[in-house]
Amino acid sequence: MSARILAALRIKASPARVFDAFVGEIGAWWRPNPLFSFTPRSPGVLAFEGEGEGARLVERLASGKVFEIGHVRTWARGERLVFGWRQAAFAPGMDTEVEVTFEAVGEETRVTVQHRGWETVPADHVARHGFPDQLFLLRHGQWWTGLLEGLAAYVR
Amino acid sequence: MARLTSALCYKDPKAALKWLEAAFGFELVLLIEDGEGNLAHSQMALGEAHVMVGNEWSADHASPASLGGKNTQTVHIHIEDDVDAHCQRARAAGAEILQEPTTQFYGDRSYRCRDLEGHIWTVGQTVKVVTREEAEAATGLKIQGWA
Repeated sequence: MSARILAALRIKASPARVFDAFVGEIGAWWRPNPLFSFTPRSPGVLAFEGEGEGARLVERLASGKVFEIGHVRTWARGERLVFGWRQAAFAPGMDTEVEVTFEAVGEETRVTVQHRGWETVPADHVARHGFPDQLFLLRHGQWWTGLLEGLAAYVR
Repeated sequence: MARLTSALCYKDPKAALKWLEAAFGFELVLLIEDGEGNLAHSQMALGEAHVMVGNEWSADHASPASLGGKNTQTVHIHIEDDVDAHCQRARAAGAEILQEPTTQFYGDRSYRCRDLEGHIWTVGQTVKVVTREEAEAATGLKIQGWA
């Protein structure tokens, strides 16, 4: 069984529009959080490079360096997006995965983020900042809620 | 702006998440599960309103199902339209209807029910604007703070 963070929000736009904004304009709506930095040089600007499976999510840092957060594992426009999520400090074997689904509800889209795999990151790892597991996951989930609110505000 | 959120305890909170969606139309907006798949925290939304759904996480937190059905607080949902349809949906999901939809003297039409673990909920819709004078005449009460 895997630890799971789920955050969902309704956004007033079509699933295709929300999907396109999620992948195509992530640099504009993303809100970095110092608790969950990808690298010691973060924050930079996030971007999906390429389209479809094999595309990758990266953070472009001010130094010009590009950090690869993860590869896209599923790319179904307007329906589902799955990508890997690693921080620079992760050791081999530590890996988390983000699944985003886009579901039409009337004229809105229910966007659901599920972030799994944090059990692969040990309790004493720097990424957890010494937080007890449940508190870490809760703070991370609240950040995802804030990110989706940022996406909603951007798409509106 | 202050905001009030009720946190409800269930013996089986994951079952409650499904039930509250089916019965009342709540949508899951936040869920945290630990490495064993146990629910650590969750929130559901109905429009702009939220409830938290959790387990019996301390000796002082219990579901009515552990207390012989006793409630010390109840949650009221105010909706904009068709409280009768809302009640039918809740009944179809297995809610025990304690009071069928009834129009109250203050202008709301409301029903009362128990959920899958015995929490009492009331759901109301304003169907008529009632003045303070009308409410006082209807009840014989002296009313203060009538909006």
